[in-house]
Amino acid sequence: MKQLFAVIGMNVRSIPQRAGMSIATITSVAFMVAVLLGFLAMANGFEKTINGSGSDDVAVFLRGGSQAEVNSVLAREDARLIEVAPGIATDESGDPIMSAELYVIVDGTKRSSQTEANLPLRGVQQQAVNLRQNFALTGGRMFEPGTAELVVGEGVIREFEGFDLGQTIRLGSNTWTIVGTFSTGGSVFDSEVWADLGVVQNLYQRGSSVQSLRARLTSPDAIEDVRAYVEGEDRLNLDVTSEREYFADSAGGIATLLKFVGWPLSIVMAIGAFAGAWNTMYSSVDSRTREIATLRTIGFSGFTAFMGTLIESLVLALLGGALAILVIYILFNGNSASTLGGGFTQIVFSFEVTLGSVISGLVLALSVGFLGGIIPGIRAARVPLLAVHQN
Amino acid sequence: MNEATLIRKGLFRKVLRAILMMVSISIAFFIFGVLGAVNKAFNAGVDVAAANRLVIVNAINFTVSMPYAYFGRVQGVDGITHVTHANWFGGYYQQPANFVQTFAVEPETYLDVYPELILPPEQREAWINTRTCLIVGQALATQYGWSLGDRIPLNSNIWQQADGSSDWDFDICGIFTAEDSSVPTNYAMFHYEYFNESLAFARDTIGWMILTTEDVSLNDQVADEIDAMFANSPAETETTTEAAFSQAFVEQLGNINLILTSVIGAAFATILMIVGTTLVLAINERTKEIAVLKTLGFQSGRIFRMILTESFLLSLIGGAIGLGLATALVMAAAEGFQAFLPGFRMPLSVVWQAFALMIAFALVTGFFPAFNAMRIRIVEAFGKL
Repeated sequence: MKQLFAVIGMNVRSIPQRAGMSIATITSVAFMVAVLLGFLAMANGFEKTINGSGSDDVAVFLRGGSQAEVNSVLAREDARLIEVAPGIATDESGDPIMSAELYVIVDGTKRSSQTEANLPLRGVQQQAVNLRQNFALTGGRMFEPGTAELVVGEGVIREFEGFDLGQTIRLGSNTWTIVGTFSTGGSVFDSEVWADLGVVQNLYQRGSSVQSLRARLTSPDAIEDVRAYVEGEDRLNLDVTSEREYFADSAGGIATLLKFVGWPLSIVMAIGAFAGAWNTMYSSVDSRTREIATLRTIGFSGFTAFMGTLIESLVLALLGGALAILVIYILFNGNSASTLGGGFTQIVFSFEVTLGSVISGLVLALSVGFLGGIIPGIRAARVPLLAVHQN
Repeated sequence: MNEATLIRKGLFRKVLRAILMMVSISIAFFIFGVLGAVNKAFNAGVDVAAANRLVIVNAINFTVSMPYAYFGRVQGVDGITHVTHANWFGGYYQQPANFVQTFAVEPETYLDVYPELILPPEQREAWINTRTCLIVGQALATQYGWSLGDRIPLNSNIWQQADGSSDWDFDICGIFTAEDSSVPTNYAMFHYEYFNESLAFARDTIGWMILTTEDVSLNDQVADEIDAMFANSPAETETTTEAAFSQAFVEQLGNINLILTSVIGAAFATILMIVGTTLVLAINERTKEIAVLKTLGFQSGRIFRMILTESFLLSLIGGAIGLGLATALVMAAAEGFQAFLPGFRMPLSVVWQAFALMIAFALVTGFFPAFNAMRIRIVEAFGKL
């Protein structure tokens, strides 16, 4: 045991003597782990935004078969029929907590690329704020119903130009004033711009039609009552889903795609890093052939030589992995980005370096270190005693 | 023993080491090849855009429609050769997961504006004269196994017919291909009239217009005239070049170019470190051998050239293997990717870039070892133990 620690100590302390090769191994492992963590941070951040968006006790009503809000059209009568459905919660004054909503996709200028990208301008009714968890105004005030005033989500302000508090902005042929900013705690709604439903219908020629209705349920289970009511009502052709389900259905694709790209890429890079580590450890064994032979002659076992080499390789890989985690965490964690989401509008999300992805990164790094060290290790164990005479 | 033998012996002095370096190099070029092809496919819309083709969309956003009457007014603008219009149908086949990119278009002018789409003359005739005709791109037809003469229903997740149904019946009377494999054929088109007259709502609106100008130099003038024509109306327009429009769309997905470039950069930084340091080390080990060569009368320049040739061989062999594997993967995946990444193939430009990179890589990694080898002094080398 003592032998083992002595040899490992010698190996590790001699790393600086082979600085070039060792740094090459550390860097190659670091880049591989960084690529993995980068992709996972995007995937996890996007997933967190989507998963944080839906509640179980909010029902979303869409036209039957429309699949997404953007494709749906509902008539004014639909809202009246749903108001009286069983299972819908009411406020203190006895009014149902529901909001008929309509969004028009408008152009915003992305800060990063200076190109135009799709933003949802959502027309909402007063109860809309009570239908989003964690809704809070972070600046200014709410829009006055009946005026061309906007409140803007924090995500939009981060990623898009021209939406700062107090500014006016032209969306199509209409000019709007930004009177407030809001946050819903990092959910999809932070990527939206809100205005009064009536004004949006009026300015964008939508008549009295809406796209979706959202209603607070008395309990998550009440959705079954609502569904039964809608199916039993011949005048309604609607799909009812809980808001959580709605977002879960519309989200999967992008996060899965990112993971499916990130993993194979980093595994391919791992093969390169593995070749590098193997090469480095071979050089390490080569340069210490005499030293190893000497140790063997004075009674150290082949196993200690093997372990010394293997541990050296693992240490290099671990250093590379740790370096990548540190750099990615400092540079990327919390960075904002946006992509085209299920509603055909931009979804702003933050990179999220999770503990799970850090562990994945370390496991990948150690695997490379282990595989890269094992064959050179065997070679170290087999150094003939006579190699002590080698020059 | 000629020079080639010497170089080969030098390179494979330690066979395993040479193979490991080639593996590292091939991995980097594999990543470069595959991601280069992906990037190219993402930007295909920009690359295949015709310089004199303009897109007119509603200034609110391209998903917002315009009155049909705009089509007639744009036709009268000077400097235009052809103009056509299209609507997004939001189609699917049998079930929502089977997304089918479908447009309702003006049949004759659409083909005028996109001359790169090829339809045999008799099919072209049928397309223009058959109200329920659907023309299907080759890639889409292959995906669903459709052939000429098939009668298929397509559902829309947006539109409804006046009778409340949302499926339209079509006769496939044409299958179009494209001049160049980078032009996507993963979509289908049908008559705007057939679409418009059956609609339950939003009749007489069009999604966007596409036009060609007589000459690229007229682009700005035509665009300004059109946008001025509809200024201060409820549906103002925004006219841009097809390339700018496609570029903006790709940007909506995110900065794909930056992501791919970073990954490629990481892969190359890795091999630069690994191969660079290994080569320096390998030449150091050979100090004595090189001193022997010098003693035998090899000139410094010749030594320099020999060592550099080694790094070139390493880079070219490793790089070619990686690029070959990348091409094989892209070819194997191309068909499966047709639906969402049309035109996915190994572009020649990526191959040339890869070879340029191999040469640059060989120079960067080989220069210092070769320079060191050239400067080895016989006396010092033999004095070294």
